[in-house]
Amino acid sequence: MSRIGFKVLLFVVLFSTSWLAHAAAKVAVITPYLAQPGTQFYVEGFEVAAKDHGWDVNVIDTKGDVAAVISRLEDAVTQNVDAIVINVDPAQITAGLAAAADAGIPVVGMDSGTDPMLVTNVTSNGYAMAAETTSYVVNRLNGVGNVVMFVFDAFPPVQARGVIADAIFANTPDIKVVERITPDVQDGGIADSRAQMEALLAANPEKGSINAVWAAWDQPALGALQAIEAADRSDEGIVIVGIDANPQARDAIKADGNFEASMAQDFTGIGSTAASVVARVLSGEKIKQPVIYVPTRLVTLSNVDTMD
Amino acid sequence: MARRYGTLAGFIAVVMMLWVLLPDTFITARNLINVSQQISMLAVVAFTMTIVMAMNDFDLSVGSLASLSGITAAVLFTYDWPVAAALAAALVVGLTGGLLNGWLVSYVGILPFVATLGTLTIYSGLAFLISGGKTVFGRDIPDAFGGFSRGGIPLDWLGVEKLRIPALTVIALSVLLLVWYLLERRVFGRHLYVIGNNREAAHYAGIAVKRLRLAAFALTGVGSAAAGLMLASRVASANPTQGAGLMLDGIAAVFLGMSLHRRGEPHVIATFAGVVMLGLLDNGLTQLSVDSYVREIMVGIILLVAVGFSVLSARRLTG
Repeated sequence: MSRIGFKVLLFVVLFSTSWLAHAAAKVAVITPYLAQPGTQFYVEGFEVAAKDHGWDVNVIDTKGDVAAVISRLEDAVTQNVDAIVINVDPAQITAGLAAAADAGIPVVGMDSGTDPMLVTNVTSNGYAMAAETTSYVVNRLNGVGNVVMFVFDAFPPVQARGVIADAIFANTPDIKVVERITPDVQDGGIADSRAQMEALLAANPEKGSINAVWAAWDQPALGALQAIEAADRSDEGIVIVGIDANPQARDAIKADGNFEASMAQDFTGIGSTAASVVARVLSGEKIKQPVIYVPTRLVTLSNVDTMD
Repeated sequence: MARRYGTLAGFIAVVMMLWVLLPDTFITARNLINVSQQISMLAVVAFTMTIVMAMNDFDLSVGSLASLSGITAAVLFTYDWPVAAALAAALVVGLTGGLLNGWLVSYVGILPFVATLGTLTIYSGLAFLISGGKTVFGRDIPDAFGGFSRGGIPLDWLGVEKLRIPALTVIALSVLLLVWYLLERRVFGRHLYVIGNNREAAHYAGIAVKRLRLAAFALTGVGSAAAGLMLASRVASANPTQGAGLMLDGIAAVFLGMSLHRRGEPHVIATFAGVVMLGLLDNGLTQLSVDSYVREIMVGIILLVAVGFSVLSARRLTG
């Protein structure tokens, strides 16, 4: 083929593809955190659903650079996309959100935080997660026993979990919260939780004096597990629960020891739900709720192997 | 001739291609104004980087110094410092950081690459230390500071509705003018280029090499601090790593600019062209929905091609 012929063909292909792309709705997904496993699952879930809708999805990763998120938001606005999905704290990208608002382009948050400039934020319900693990503990103890709590009230999402656990334990007359510990989290939360739990075990040497450990997230639960194993008290049947179901916690649950349960967020579901919100907005629907919760699941020995 | 205009021709070709592929949204006043704002922070870093690179030196610490200055201002905001005072303190941090770099390079005699690699780590550590590793945002950031980057000079008087020259763009252009004046119109600048050509000869010619290197690094430090503050204003928040990306892109922009110069010297107008090149590429490729990782590879290739081309044609010239 002659060179000119080839160039003509190239342009025809480029123009026809860009024309076809115009026919489908364009959606930009912008995040600085694509390298993180959770975000990858959101985006995968979103992309699968987007394919069903026939959208032209452009996933943009700014690799940790929040300022670049604003720039890419502005670019997406210039490009006149039909909708934008973000996975970043909206408070830090106000300039970009304002550009989208000016252009009338809807922006949906994917576990991003609540903001009046977002159509809605799709995320997991921290209250509900805490309610599940706390009820698990109450039921396993048949409503009777001494519980150690690991909380962190300085961080609002974790504080919300603690408040629910407090309420449920308080509503169970024969459950006694013997200690409510705020671990030092600078080391990641495991080491200091372990040290505090060891001290507590030393102070309560009698078998059966501690019946359960409720942790607002997995790291203190893992620290408590290490302390119980190191003190050689694994056989007392102390029930440990965490939240988040991180890989280390899942391994501990699989090992069928004291660590019995945690909560798994449905990251893929958050992505697909964000896609269905986009579809609703594109069809002209007005979304009322500023936050949409995607159900979470209790992870125990019975289902830890089947969960993705 | 080829050396001087090869990069420029390539750049124009790329822009034309993007224009053809994006006829309605690329070369528009609105988009170009957007791009000017997006590249403003990188521009300030690259412009002031040109000052040290004129002496054939390097500053690897600009990114972490930008982060440190931004987070300094933000942390001071949490102590209810007035905006002006916090900004001044942040600029002093930049100046001090730059002076330390200059002192290590020029008076202690550590290679710039090593000296600023060391201070890069120190400034980054300090940024984490004073912020406790956290992001400062929301109500802690005064509206006057976060709102600044959203303002600008309206263009209504030009008959253009709803458009304005963003405040950050105005700052970047002012820095461009200032650096251009210093480097191209003052003896200071001429001496820096003499040092860059041959430091020893400059010394014997009676140029105060040590003092000038100290001053040049100090200016680069202040520039980094300014860029860090612009960045913090743009995101209305500050975290201890947010300037990290500025260093490599800043150096890349200066190198792109150097490939435009007859003798391969860094000049700030050419650096400006380099920054615009990087900014338009980023913007155009995003608009074309080119994968962000592919985009990064392309930018690297373009840098290598531009600089490689100018090196090759230089070799041809000198035989």
